[in-house]
Amino acid sequence: METEVKDQLVSIEKPELVAPPNWEPVIMGILCNWCSYAGSDLTGTSRIQYPPNIRIIRVPCSSRVDPWFLIKSLQTTADGVLVSGCHPGDCHYISGNYFARRRFLVTKKLLNFVGFHENRIQFSWVSAAEGPKFAKVVNKVTEDIKKLGPLHLYKKENFDKK
Amino acid sequence: MNYTKQIQDIAAKLFAEGKIDVFVGYRLNGFDDNHVPVLITDPQDVSKLVFTDKSVFNLVNYLKTDHTRRKRVGLVVKGCDSRSLNLMLTENQVKRENLYVVGICCEGVVDDAGQKMQNCAECVVPDAVVSDELLGTPSGQKPYTVNVDIAALAAKPLTERTAYFEEVFENCIRCNACRHSCPLCYCAKCCIDQETATLYNGANTTSAAFHALMTWSLHLAGRCVDCRNCEKACPSHLPLHLLHKQNESVIYENFQEHLAGVIPEDRGAFYKYSLKDPDDFIM
Repeated sequence: METEVKDQLVSIEKPELVAPPNWEPVIMGILCNWCSYAGSDLTGTSRIQYPPNIRIIRVPCSSRVDPWFLIKSLQTTADGVLVSGCHPGDCHYISGNYFARRRFLVTKKLLNFVGFHENRIQFSWVSAAEGPKFAKVVNKVTEDIKKLGPLHLYKKENFDKK
Repeated sequence: MNYTKQIQDIAAKLFAEGKIDVFVGYRLNGFDDNHVPVLITDPQDVSKLVFTDKSVFNLVNYLKTDHTRRKRVGLVVKGCDSRSLNLMLTENQVKRENLYVVGICCEGVVDDAGQKMQNCAECVVPDAVVSDELLGTPSGQKPYTVNVDIAALAAKPLTERTAYFEEVFENCIRCNACRHSCPLCYCAKCCIDQETATLYNGANTTSAAFHALMTWSLHLAGRCVDCRNCEKACPSHLPLHLLHKQNESVIYENFQEHLAGVIPEDRGAFYKYSLKDPDDFIM
């Protein structure tokens, strides 16, 4: 696609809405306890910089992530969601992430179908030893979502004011 | 497609033999030639039963109620209804030995305007897969086609889809008729209702409707049998099938799964996995 130079950042789903100046995205990071959370810990202890836009929630396993969590995050504050778990075959509970993988695909496709940009919902496999990879993933997700602009769809507070 | 006589005979025979306590079927609604479900406990009322192509509702939904629980039930099922019955049996919601199932080899039902319903035109399994007695001649499984509405919407740009679905969710009045009419929504306490306890989400807003309908459709993903009871029950006439058919098409195309409820003892796509599942969308 051709890159259009814009003065103002607009929401990709609703081009009529402009982002406020110095807008920073909020990204919900849902990380599995055994791999990705330990990986993010390693990123911190290795003094690798990554954007502070991500708000991390720890879950026991990536298969603990109900699609509801993603819907709820997008409906409240988040502009994007990152779900991260163990690599296939490395799951602490043996097969949890295989089950999760199916759910993730269906959730992502459905949210895209009802009008969310596909980059707002992202998934990654990060192991406990991959500190640099976690920083890279968070950098990429933050960059992607900054390009998309703020999420205005179905936000609770928009309806609260009415 | 008219099995009125056969169904009346079967129901009368079952009552006479003492095999059932209640028979679930269709009767005329009393105003026009449309049908409504009826639960018959008195053998004299058997003559009320009808079955034509106006018998649109999924009767498996009535196995959730106290009128049929822990009773011996006679039941009429079409192809799609029998798939939902199959899932109810697999998920231990009803006992097979308490049921007498009259299966229909369905040729498609019609809506109020007399047109063949869209899900019947695209039906993959028209014959009942669970039955004690099968009426009609089986026509076998048909090839799977992607829903025309899904294909048309998916081809549109993102902003158009966004605007379309915002209108859909805005028109929802949160009556929960979709949930009550779904045979597979049998949880005693729904997770969407727990949200409504927080005062705010119970409100009838677009945001709350988005949350409720999306959660609902994702909890039915891999289990929905496309009987469209939800759509028939919806007072706002929302195109609820879009959400379900989208999930169904993703599951069917990516996981090489058969459709929900076709095979007995199969719990749906989310209860199993394959090492070959697509992985390219994950970083």
